[in-house]
Amino acid sequence: MNENELILQWKTSADNLEKSMALSKQNAKEIMKLKTKDALSSLKPIKMWAVLIGIIWVIAVDAVIIHFWDVAPYPFLISALVQVIITKIAIGIYLYQLVLLQQVDISEPVISTQEKLLHLKISSLWVVRISFLQLPIWTTFYWNESMLSNGNWLLWIFQGAVTLLFILLTIWLFINITVRNSNKKWFRFVLNLKEWSPLIQAIDLLHQAEAYRMEDRSVV
Amino acid sequence: MIEENQLQQQFQLILEQHKGVFFKVAQTYCSNESDRQDLIQEIMIQVWKSLGKYNNKYAITTWLYRIAINVAISFYRKNKHVKLITNEINEQQVQHDESHLKEKEQQLLLLEQFINELNEFDKALMLLYLDQRPHSEIATILGISVSNVSTKTARIKEKLRNRFAQIKL
Repeated sequence: MNENELILQWKTSADNLEKSMALSKQNAKEIMKLKTKDALSSLKPIKMWAVLIGIIWVIAVDAVIIHFWDVAPYPFLISALVQVIITKIAIGIYLYQLVLLQQVDISEPVISTQEKLLHLKISSLWVVRISFLQLPIWTTFYWNESMLSNGNWLLWIFQGAVTLLFILLTIWLFINITVRNSNKKWFRFVLNLKEWSPLIQAIDLLHQAEAYRMEDRSVV
Repeated sequence: MIEENQLQQQFQLILEQHKGVFFKVAQTYCSNESDRQDLIQEIMIQVWKSLGKYNNKYAITTWLYRIAINVAISFYRKNKHVKLITNEINEQQVQHDESHLKEKEQQLLLLEQFINELNEFDKALMLLYLDQRPHSEIATILGISVSNVSTKTARIKEKLRNRFAQIKL
């Protein structure tokens, strides 16, 4: 393998690519029309729709709570309140992280920039952890006075056990959905949705960036 | 308004004088034409958006390479599943295609395959080495020490030599 020849061939290949894919002046004009400060402009349509649906959902639940405040059973009202508060917090954190991501200066050195971007992306794990906090209330919203006064002890034990199980599961998920468990099978199963696979890739890439950083310290 | 015009002129100048940076990064990080076009477009957008913040304490090529590589790594991450499908070049194919490809073309194919298998940061290092950037500039672009650049470059070159040696056997 002749190193200089290889470098020359690579450069020739790059030059050929440049000739075959000329930069369009029209393209450049379209790009210059873009505003330089536009935090949410690159948000993908599907994510915009997800956020919009989330906002519509919280408005709808707020409306139901207000409308049925005087007549609905307390378990329903409390469950709905908890659910809507958790959803609002999750949406707020998600949007805040998106804005922070756009503000990262990508003209800074590659390793440190990627670490910042990746830490931000990974902090979206908070959205997952907080979203799971609402699990138990889906086992309590349908409770009512009739069920509590007319139901037998078997029903109370069964219902109590289900709710307790969900509470324990929620606590366990909240504690364990972290970067250090990212290589575990259950973690990848829980976060297997398409939305979250870039997150798993981000975690892998962060490990690479940290390895580069650690090697840098040991060489210096 | 004047500032906007100046920015536009600067942007046009960058495209005329330094577009090679975009193509080299696209060639390194993308194996198919469609992805390369998308990546180049995205790099151009990010260069335009960052132009107002350019600090001339760094050379323009340093600044451009930082942006281009950061965009490429983020872009590459999103399209990783495509890479797994399109990366069908293997060592046997390089050997059996002898009758169709000259030796130099084979070597280039092998080099591209080798680069394709590197992690995102080693790809950046390889790209800058092949572009014959001085170690000091590579260190500034990546944000690591010059000695680390030398160590890592030597390691990657050794892996590449071993890969070529395996093919010849």
